[in-house]
Amino acid sequence: MIDWGWIGDHLGAILGRTVQHLELATIAVSIGFAISFGLALVALSRRPTYPLISGMAGILYTIPSLAVFATLVSITGLTIQTAEIPLIMYTLVILVRNIVAGFDAAPADVLDAADGMGYSRWRRFRAIELPLAVPLIVAGLRLASVSTIGLVTVSATLGDAFGGLGFFILEGYNRGFPTEILSGAVPSILLAIAVDVAFVQVEHRLTPWITAEPSRAGGPERLAPGDGLAA
Amino acid sequence: MDASQAVAATVEFDHVSKVYGGAPAKRGQASTPGAVNDLSLAIPAGKICVLVGPSGCGKTTSLKMVNRLIEPTSGRILLDGVDAADTDRTELRRGIGYVIQQTGLFPHETILENVGTVPRLLGWPAARIRARSEELLALVGLEPGRYAQRFPSQLSGGERQRVGVARALGADPPVMLMDEPFGAVDPIVRERLQDELLRLQEGLAKTILFVTHDIDEAIKMGDLVAVFQQGGRVAQFGTPAELLASPASDFVARFVGADRGLKRLSLSRVRDLDIRPAVTGRVGEPALEARRRAAADPFPYLLLVDAGDRPVGWLPDSEIPGDGLLAEAMAVPMSPILSLEMTLKDALSMMLDANVQAGIAVDRSGRVLGLVTADAIATFLRESGPLGRGGAISSPASPADPAAPAPPAGPPGGSGS
Repeated sequence: MIDWGWIGDHLGAILGRTVQHLELATIAVSIGFAISFGLALVALSRRPTYPLISGMAGILYTIPSLAVFATLVSITGLTIQTAEIPLIMYTLVILVRNIVAGFDAAPADVLDAADGMGYSRWRRFRAIELPLAVPLIVAGLRLASVSTIGLVTVSATLGDAFGGLGFFILEGYNRGFPTEILSGAVPSILLAIAVDVAFVQVEHRLTPWITAEPSRAGGPERLAPGDGLAA
Repeated sequence: MDASQAVAATVEFDHVSKVYGGAPAKRGQASTPGAVNDLSLAIPAGKICVLVGPSGCGKTTSLKMVNRLIEPTSGRILLDGVDAADTDRTELRRGIGYVIQQTGLFPHETILENVGTVPRLLGWPAARIRARSEELLALVGLEPGRYAQRFPSQLSGGERQRVGVARALGADPPVMLMDEPFGAVDPIVRERLQDELLRLQEGLAKTILFVTHDIDEAIKMGDLVAVFQQGGRVAQFGTPAELLASPASDFVARFVGADRGLKRLSLSRVRDLDIRPAVTGRVGEPALEARRRAAADPFPYLLLVDAGDRPVGWLPDSEIPGDGLLAEAMAVPMSPILSLEMTLKDALSMMLDANVQAGIAVDRSGRVLGLVTADAIATFLRESGPLGRGGAISSPASPADPAAPAPPAGPPGGSGS
């Protein structure tokens, strides 16, 4: 069924395509994140723009990737821009919404206290709001990365220079050779899982307060024996 | 310790109004919740002033105008005579402690980092911030070694609230704003936190503005109480004793409650009473002399005391022997012993429990000072009524609200306490 010999002969190529796959996805998510962060800040500072920004990103998300590639080829040719633009496009809706939700999640009392104690606007953003937004921002990055890693395969339609592991999937399909299809699909899946796990680790590092042990007493208001005498 | 050297500041509201939307509400017209109407209050340095009233009456708005989280529509707020509006906003806030009901602790920072917030904003060196934070944790009863590295989610509600107080004291501010600080904890914890704050305040002597909707908390915590009513007006401003003894309006009377007579009992202490001297006889002295003294006094009992003037028991006048010496064995069981610091409520309760008419007031070392009778307590309440005697401090500037009848004027300078 599976032609282990072929896989053995092509290990180098598979590794090379895996690296390319990761590169294409990293570029897309990085640029997508930068754009999304900017859009989210605009939406947060001018609230009425949020439905518009979020709606546009949502519409972009609905455009079929093949149609975008086909259209872009006539404009940007068979270049990396053509491969990246749709990938970036698809990250926006997930990232913008998660970044905005992340900043919205900061409790009102925390912001009130920060203002009341004399945080400047910028310092409050950097020292309070940003750290508190991390969990939802990372959640967005996880989703965007996994979906981008899946989508990179489609860029194989732009030619041999693109597609990462998608190259094997497309070629295997054309040749009616299941081993080659699997050689593209399985590493792509493993890559997505690995990246997801890596993000979870990063999130744990960045948010020690979330994984901290809960209150020693169990209940929020339970008194330890003898507490009543302390006062 | 730093804290005890702190200076407090006066806080003065000078015709302060806050209007939300449109024009200011005319009298009698419903106004927006949170609005404040021509508020003038002068809060002396080092006192706790409680702003109390139903929700939407503008008490939190008034509080937040002090650190300019809300800007007044008109009027001025003076801190030690300086207009808050003339101070840079973040600078002003770093110099004012701020405690809120939901604590507003930063969930992503450790307890130590939370407490060091204001010193950090002020750019203190790290070592000094750490030392100060640990000192403050200890001050509010949280052992630094045990709590410093925890996150707020790992603490109970009561502990979080203490951290909130410690954090507000960060840079030793002369003024503290506390917005229903104990509103979210259960009654037992609340009472303990109240007691601890009062104990802290004895050493700190900050000027504290304290918002609550709980009249009992207001009476317990306040040196002065401003009762707010709908529309952001102050219905009465005075000491708790004045409020209870002579409410300025029906609204205040209803708000302080039908049991205000009983509430007053917990405001005054045994030391506020005229303690009636007791006729005493010392164990070992000649009985005849004691008998003569007792006969000269209408009270039908002689109080036996030991060599140190500490009470031993009662001896009915009729049973004082005509000769020999007074002996401890002659005494019949004791009345309750009352310390000067005991509230009248506790004193009366002990007397009722013991089923006697009089308690014995003693000083710190247990020496007899005299007798406290139920009658004396009743007389005290009656007499202290409209004059605001008994724990009352001198009358502050009269309330600003022209709608409310001014409280009956006290004697100049109050009770002189």
